[in-house]
Amino acid sequence: MKPFWIYYQKEMLESGRTYKWIWVPAVFLLLGIMQPVSTYYLPEILTMAGEVPPEAAALFTVPSAESVMASALSQFSVIGLLVLVLAGMNTVAGERATGTAELVLARSVSTIPMMAAKWAAMMTLVAASFALGLGGAAYYTHLLIGPLEWGAVASGGGLYVVWLAWIVTLALPLGAVLRGPAAAFISLAVAGALSLLSGLLPSRLQWNPGRLSSMAAERIVGEGSSVWSPIIVAILLMVLSIIVAARLLRRSPLSPQS
Amino acid sequence: MTEKLLSIHELTKSIGSIMPVKGISFELKRGGCTALLGPNGAGKTTTLRMLAGLIPPTRGEIRYGSGDGHTDSWRHRIGYLPQYPKFYSWMSGMEYLSFSAKLSGLSGKEALRRSREVIEMVGLQQAAKRRISGYSGGMKQRLGIAQALVHEPELIMLDEPVSALDPIGRREVMDLLDRLRGEVTVLFSTHVLHDAEEICDDMILMVDGEIAEKGALSELRTKYRQPVLSIDVEPGEREVAWLDSLANRPYVQEIELGKRGAKLMVTDMEVARAALIQELADGGIELLRFEAGTSTLEDMFMKVVGS
Repeated sequence: MKPFWIYYQKEMLESGRTYKWIWVPAVFLLLGIMQPVSTYYLPEILTMAGEVPPEAAALFTVPSAESVMASALSQFSVIGLLVLVLAGMNTVAGERATGTAELVLARSVSTIPMMAAKWAAMMTLVAASFALGLGGAAYYTHLLIGPLEWGAVASGGGLYVVWLAWIVTLALPLGAVLRGPAAAFISLAVAGALSLLSGLLPSRLQWNPGRLSSMAAERIVGEGSSVWSPIIVAILLMVLSIIVAARLLRRSPLSPQS
Repeated sequence: MTEKLLSIHELTKSIGSIMPVKGISFELKRGGCTALLGPNGAGKTTTLRMLAGLIPPTRGEIRYGSGDGHTDSWRHRIGYLPQYPKFYSWMSGMEYLSFSAKLSGLSGKEALRRSREVIEMVGLQQAAKRRISGYSGGMKQRLGIAQALVHEPELIMLDEPVSALDPIGRREVMDLLDRLRGEVTVLFSTHVLHDAEEICDDMILMVDGEIAEKGALSELRTKYRQPVLSIDVEPGEREVAWLDSLANRPYVQEIELGKRGAKLMVTDMEVARAALIQELADGGIELLRFEAGTSTLEDMFMKVVGS
């Protein structure tokens, strides 16, 4: 347990010193707030642009609070996910490429605590940033558009964190064999492919963790069914990723070019 | 004091079709200083990486202590400095040292105390609180040595600790290693024989993944001591012809011909000296320098590495 805490502190210090704790939450907060605010002011914006007759602008109806929250989630799944994967891509790949892993591994009996700490630090950042973004979105939606059911938002948010988490975790084992950008690209591609698959074949592949994002949106709108299998698959995927990453790092602690 | 600290047996590493280390065996005595000597590409780094437990050996055995100590249980008693140490540049020197110490099992307080000690030992106390990104090459190398010592290991392994340093930095590191003698067992790799001669008792000479020669330096010096005559002459046709003809003298074992001189390994110094001086006088050779001496380890090193 002790090596885990040492690594965890180191990882947290690193993400603080490299300003990850500023820009990642900032992006999420911005994304979260923008959705309700721009929806609320859309009629005004359209009128000010001057190309829409006021009658047409008046026809525009403000959507329900729940659907505004759901579209805020879809904002997170594009830019938010990209930001997280970019922030996390070098946690393992960077240590191999720069060679810092060599000194650290010479001291570590097992690589599991190190990987687990890297994962935990990443999850802390993911959860905190997302909570901030979702909180911002919910607050402004509540203020500008209408009341929300807080319980549904929280449970939808919980589902959504799991979806973000397993994709970001993929960067660990991929980073142990590939370079950072390649690892980031592949994690995003896998996430995209699984989401697409869940959209194309919604009745099949109930366990598909790519469903989690749409499940979260449905939960907030209030029509979601409770299916546990995608969550369990996502958690298994994360555990597996950590173990595989630890094994791979022990086998090849250094990038070939260093 | 002659307790064995490390013994390796038939250590082999193959990567694909190449074999950087081909079945080497040696032992380290507690408290000794051993140089792992060899030209670039001899397999020194690979050997040290295996000893540090960074890469698994393909075959062979590494044994720490006199019993059956395995690498994993020994990790906290080894200090390792790679050839190009890389640190987290966003940490300060002090933070890095205490992070390393904690990883090796020291408590928080102990880690801080030891970090202060070693940072003073390597002379970095002025820069202790600065970020590593602002350190110079020499400072990083000294920080590397500090991190290898911070957890009070019994054995430190340093991969080319002085090769990348300027003469002053080199001097400082060598002095530091000299001070450590006796306290810890030192194994360091180098391609400069001079460094090894300066502070080590034993050396292991590696060439092409095999041990070409090993033993105590004093013994090796005696073993390879051979009478040598160096002759330098003025440039001239007669002189050059004479130098060329030297190879067929009975007392000349080996000859190294230069542009304006020759180096002769001779069997009997007395005979060779008398005969050659006679020849010089008779032939009217315009002599610049005539020196009788013995061959050094350097000559042996060059010969073994060159062949």
